[in-house]
Amino acid sequence: MTTQTVTETSGARTAPDLGVLLTGAGAVLLAVSAFLPWAGYAGFPGKMTLSGYPGGARLYVLLLALPALALLRPVAGRAAALRAAANVELAVVALTVYFVAYAGGGFVNVGGGVYPAMIGAVLYVVGSRRLPATEAVAEGMAFPDASWRFPVESLVVAGTAGLALWLFVIGLGMPISSIASGSDLTLGPLSINDVANSGQFLAYVITIAGLALVAGRLGLLKSLTIMTGRHPKLFVAAGFIAAAAFPFTQSGSGESLSIAARIGVFAAAAVGLNIVVGLAGLLDLGYIAFFGVGAYFGALVSGSVTSVTGVHLPFALTIVLGGLVSGIFGLLLGAPTLRLRGDYLAIVTLGFGEIFRITVNNLDGSAGPSLTNGPNGVSNIPDLALGSFNFGANHTLFGIDLSFQSNYYWLELLLLAFVMTSFLRLSESRIGRAWVAIREDELAAAATGINTTRLKLLAFALGATLAGAAGTVNAHVVKVAAPDSFTFIESATLLAAIILGGMGTVPGALLGATVLYLLPEKLRFLHDLRLLVFGIALVLIMRLRPEGLVASKRRAREFHEHETDPAAEAVA
Amino acid sequence: MDVFFQQLVNAIVLGATYGLVALGYTMVYGIVQLINFAHGEIYMLGGFGALTTYLALPSGTPAGIALPLMLVGGIVVSVTAAVIMERFAYRPLRSAPRLAPLITAIGVSVFLQELVRNFYPNAKAARNFPQLVNPDYQVKLGSSVQISAPQLLTVVVALVGMVTLSTFVRRSRTGRAMQATAQDPDTARLMGIDTDRIIVTAFVLGAALAALAGVSSGLQFGQVDFHMGFITGVKAFTAAVLGGIGNISGAVLGGFTLGLVEVMATQYAPDPFSGGAWKDAWSFVVLIIVLVFRPTGLLGERVAARA
Repeated sequence: MTTQTVTETSGARTAPDLGVLLTGAGAVLLAVSAFLPWAGYAGFPGKMTLSGYPGGARLYVLLLALPALALLRPVAGRAAALRAAANVELAVVALTVYFVAYAGGGFVNVGGGVYPAMIGAVLYVVGSRRLPATEAVAEGMAFPDASWRFPVESLVVAGTAGLALWLFVIGLGMPISSIASGSDLTLGPLSINDVANSGQFLAYVITIAGLALVAGRLGLLKSLTIMTGRHPKLFVAAGFIAAAAFPFTQSGSGESLSIAARIGVFAAAAVGLNIVVGLAGLLDLGYIAFFGVGAYFGALVSGSVTSVTGVHLPFALTIVLGGLVSGIFGLLLGAPTLRLRGDYLAIVTLGFGEIFRITVNNLDGSAGPSLTNGPNGVSNIPDLALGSFNFGANHTLFGIDLSFQSNYYWLELLLLAFVMTSFLRLSESRIGRAWVAIREDELAAAATGINTTRLKLLAFALGATLAGAAGTVNAHVVKVAAPDSFTFIESATLLAAIILGGMGTVPGALLGATVLYLLPEKLRFLHDLRLLVFGIALVLIMRLRPEGLVASKRRAREFHEHETDPAAEAVA
Repeated sequence: MDVFFQQLVNAIVLGATYGLVALGYTMVYGIVQLINFAHGEIYMLGGFGALTTYLALPSGTPAGIALPLMLVGGIVVSVTAAVIMERFAYRPLRSAPRLAPLITAIGVSVFLQELVRNFYPNAKAARNFPQLVNPDYQVKLGSSVQISAPQLLTVVVALVGMVTLSTFVRRSRTGRAMQATAQDPDTARLMGIDTDRIIVTAFVLGAALAALAGVSSGLQFGQVDFHMGFITGVKAFTAAVLGGIGNISGAVLGGFTLGLVEVMATQYAPDPFSGGAWKDAWSFVVLIIVLVFRPTGLLGERVAARA
């Protein structure tokens, strides 16, 4: 509905193109294989032994074969879209076959559906490469100005937000046998189940990315961008309503909610860091320390029995004060160093991060004054209570059971909404434009009358304040504040999240935070190699797509200054 | 007073290690304005390279032969890693905004640590390093001030390395080309200097010195560990900034200053904040103080600020 149809000019309908034939044959084989059994043993997720039921990874195979329907009509961008679909399809088939064989103890244990799938995938790839590439590049299109434009567009926009959330929820809800924290390196032995689940999750992520790529090649994403750009508030509102409705789908279980809540706080911190790094261009390598300042402050005034202060402040006051205390640290640290060149800030913030970790580790009464309980941290933080509403109890709303985790999930959602609003309002303000000017060229910015030192300090302190506020909330969610959670690798992961997602954009930070938080939890088959993969990924992202997955237009141009190919900026 | 002099000796030994590693940071920074975050891992690889060499030698090889071979082995491993790193991680990003190579450097650093941790045999915990130089052999410097043989070796190796480097940079043709590239890479290229080669040279020299530091710290402490490069790397960078980054004598001076601060703070800081638990915190406090009052470092930086 949103793509241009290219009318065939000549009536040359003599023989179908070889590429069209091969692609079609491949897609049909793949579709058939999705209804055949893929595993010769029970236990692989998605009931892979059943025939006539396209479950698990077979559904992804089917979905990725669907774009071949475009063969029936020569739509714009068809060849590019099918090439993308075919490549991703091949990857998904290969990956799934590998994991089915690996988890089943050998290739002999795969099911009969695997063979047509492999042949089909190869045909699909070969055929799509031979497709005539004469069609026009797909352009985004908006609806004509009609009276029915608004309802249709708002439906599409709201539907997109809902769809995104729904896909996220599916990914989150996929079975994992046990939850490992992101920095936990000592995992137990792997079970077959872990391997199989990791494989299915990986196939899921690749499929989503592939379908997004196909939609992009067909121009659907551009149309969507135009529409969401016209109704930004609706889009955000729909997203938040969908996110807020998430606990109602969990039927009283809290496992996914607690992961989602942690992603939320991680994302909030990433958005906060995005103000410092993405907008103002200040490299902060110790951001997690500001988060930690807030967390420890929150823990110390929570009324926990392990807190030496014994103070119990109201939670609303705690958030504000935690943010302020962290912001003051930001001012103290930023004031002397922000006058200097950027690299010094990187090393000073790194130093501050280490000092913070060492200090809270030492303030245990033996190596220093007693304040933080040293390596054990401040634990047993009591549940929040607002009036008679106890956050630690399960509730029932509209007849639906809600586990207590949903209370914390909503709290995180509020926090995230607040941080995102701050970011967006700031980035569109005079201050935000000044930050971008400083990031692009500090000398030129100063020459136009921007007080660069003061504005840099503002960005730095503001980032610290948001991190502190997020930290106080997080302390109450995870119920403990301990030095181990505030190491350099955490700061690096946050930084990597906004770089992967795209610097200076909110969706980028959200996407990056989600991916970087979920991948280590879901990819348990990588086991000890997770950090190794993390390191390689950082290097590769910087090589291949330094502007991130969701690039702001300005940044994409900055990184591709010397390239004239607009296609490089068009994707995603 | 003896305690003071003994700590002074310890400070010089520690400072020698920092200085050696700091030289690598300062040379690379002086030429390409890159904080090579992975340089600490190059130092760590030097230690593991030497260990590997030792394990490959037939048992019973006399220390006089094994030690030079281990130094060479460590240097080879470090230099190879540095050259590969420069070629495949940093060079493609040379015209990118400055944040990009810095993030790449963090990635390389994590990658190298994890590579050793996962694939070097039994490297998940610290690995024992051969005690070829007997640490019980103490040289008396005063009534109760002494320096152990591995410590003495560290200082000697560091001094030789520093003097050689300084002579090389000041006197040799390549060294002068390095200075020219640091001052103005574009003009240097116009003068016929192969700046790519000069950048590689800076990485190679830095890696060789870091390997020396890695081997001598293995000899001193009797172990090497995949994580040893991180904190040493950060402190060596601190030392480079302290001395004035881009300045070769500054890196050495910064190294010794930082060593002195760390050792003396551990000994003499007001009561609850003395002792080993706080020594890292003190180094960073000093860094922040220096940046506040003398942001160009002790000797001032040689490179002009570029927008």
